[in-house]
Amino acid sequence: MPERGKLGRAAIAAPIERLRARTWERLPDWTHPLIWFALCILVLVVPTFDDIWVRMFFLVGLYATLGLGLNVVVGMAGLLDLGYVAFFATGAYVVGILSAPDSPHYSAFFSYWYLLPMAVGIGALVGVLLGLPVLPLRGDYLAIVTLGFGEIIRILALNMSDQTNGSSGLFEIGRPDISYLHNLGLTGRSTVDNVQYFYVMIVIAAFAVWFVTSRLRDSRVGRAWEAIREDEDAARGMGINTTRYKLMAFSTGAAIGALGGAIYAPFIDFIAPNSFSLLVSINVLALVIIGGMGSTQGVVAGSLILIGVPELLQFSETADVLSKFDWVGQGVNQVIDGINAVTHLDLSTLPPAEKWGAKLALYRFIIFGALLVAIMVLRPSGLFPSRRRKMEFEHTPEHETAGPAGTA
Amino acid sequence: MTPLFLAHGSAEFWSDQTVNGLTTGSIYALVALGYTMVYGILQLINFAHGEVFMVGAFAGYGVLVALGGEDISGVMVLVAIILALAAAGAASAVTAATIERVAYRPLRNAPRLAPLISAIGVSIFLSHLVDDGFLDGKSKFYPQIFPTGDLSAGPLSISYLQLFLIGSSLVMMAGLYWVVQRTRTGKAIRAVSESRENAALMGIDVDRMIVATFVLGAIMAGFGGVLYGLFLSSIRGSMGFLPGVKAFTAAVLGGIGSIPGAVVGGFFLGLTESVGRELLNEIPGVNLPNEWKDVVAFALLVVVLIFRPTGIFRQRETKRA
Repeated sequence: MPERGKLGRAAIAAPIERLRARTWERLPDWTHPLIWFALCILVLVVPTFDDIWVRMFFLVGLYATLGLGLNVVVGMAGLLDLGYVAFFATGAYVVGILSAPDSPHYSAFFSYWYLLPMAVGIGALVGVLLGLPVLPLRGDYLAIVTLGFGEIIRILALNMSDQTNGSSGLFEIGRPDISYLHNLGLTGRSTVDNVQYFYVMIVIAAFAVWFVTSRLRDSRVGRAWEAIREDEDAARGMGINTTRYKLMAFSTGAAIGALGGAIYAPFIDFIAPNSFSLLVSINVLALVIIGGMGSTQGVVAGSLILIGVPELLQFSETADVLSKFDWVGQGVNQVIDGINAVTHLDLSTLPPAEKWGAKLALYRFIIFGALLVAIMVLRPSGLFPSRRRKMEFEHTPEHETAGPAGTA
Repeated sequence: MTPLFLAHGSAEFWSDQTVNGLTTGSIYALVALGYTMVYGILQLINFAHGEVFMVGAFAGYGVLVALGGEDISGVMVLVAIILALAAAGAASAVTAATIERVAYRPLRNAPRLAPLISAIGVSIFLSHLVDDGFLDGKSKFYPQIFPTGDLSAGPLSISYLQLFLIGSSLVMMAGLYWVVQRTRTGKAIRAVSESRENAALMGIDVDRMIVATFVLGAIMAGFGGVLYGLFLSSIRGSMGFLPGVKAFTAAVLGGIGSIPGAVVGGFFLGLTESVGRELLNEIPGVNLPNEWKDVVAFALLVVVLIFRPTGIFRQRETKRA
């Protein structure tokens, strides 16, 4: 019976297999630097686009940063964290509470550049405090406890109104002061207060996080994480202090999540408990898994697809383009009307074409959910897998010469 | 009547809290059964179980509306509720069996993380399909057809609806217990959860028994969905999330894998959220309003995981590491 299942799956997987032939690892090696180069150029020219585009790329960068952080936890150490939003919220609230003028704990003493490292530190601390009780347990428990914790952070922010202003939220969050650079004549502004500057900031943060996490992955710590992910008992047998390393992965991820929150808060200028719902965790987890766990380019591709595309769909330009296809919708609607007239099924007709993009953006979580299942069943290592991760999930013997390098 | 050590609240207050705790507890217990049975047989946390519960609530809602909604009265109320429960059980069972076939069975021998992630995928898919796809983010409201009124004796008082909820859920759980303990299918399910290989060697169709487990748990969740709708009225696609997480907590409290444990854990969690929270409020300087009940429930989960990871009934060793 298992054979029958395998054959069936192979038939579905074949076209996907062909698609995979065009993905990263099958591309000739010489194209890799070219693709990276093109990406770098794209990153550099983004600030010259319209504000709305820069904003979109800021969000892509923010989620890529968060994705790289969650990737440490889920991809490298194999710990399923479903409450990543907790750390994002921690970072945002540390900055918000201490720098919003109407906050009960407002302090003019702290400039943003004190608050940023403070947020990252507190994020790491929260990660340790949360991880300590649950990390010695099986991974399933970690998943459910983090899920609950992500929700609890929101409830706390909502109900501890003496500290957080509750549901009315915090406004006018302190923005990064860069007058030092301005005085040197390096920047046109003395504070980071427009999308272009925030974009540059998130790009720097994303690169810093990428650098740190990729160095960690190739270090002794990263190898310990990998060993734990593959087989925790064996890792312990080899003398790895599994709880300590899991805690390290968890708090590294937490610190990066808090960093993202600390950059997001001044950008959006207003934070309230409802900005930190479960959907943020789902977004980040989906982009890590769909992109390919453990791989950097997977996270970048994942955030372009899962964050960039839904944003793009809501642009008025997209609506203008789509409205040119109204005749398609009208044709389909005539067919639906015909069916309704005959069968009394009362099917609903399509909305006007310019609303399709926004509708599709609204349905994105339905699509994410289906994609998560499909990817686990058909292609468990994601669209752009790291090579080792792929070996774990698909159990295909690779050439001995493949070597551990070349995963990112 | 007020016990001396309780500074605040009358006897009525405490009895109300107890009844409220038992009511929510009975719903947690019904949902927890599905978690514990599936975990017992597959060692898998069925993250989509909360959505199975949601599907049941909507199926029951559909039946009640089709039968006349608010206009149902007299003996028809009982008939309508029984039909709603039956429809919910059936819809939930079909949903759970489909989920098992599509999202879990292909991953039976995959690494542990894979089925967990596909379970989350199913959960996101179903809750958003209902919320964004069908309802445009709006809630639906159960028709309020249950006769109102209280049964009281001294300080004790309980509404007819709460009495029905607690009573009917106990009957359903007793039914499940009978199926698992006394029927051939139940015996086979227990054999599979003991050892899949040995059960297969004894000629038990393991895949069928796994589906049967999902279906039994789903029927309980579907019933729970209707009771939830009758009690709280408002239902929506994401309604399964919190009760789902709470019910899982209840299953862990009772000792995951143990059926009586899930029931006891459910009631215990319900009581902790109401009575336990109010008892904490007796401590000077502590003030936990009702909105904090989720925090209390989770704190309880973490405390149990640290100090007694095998739960109250210690059915199955919670694997450390």
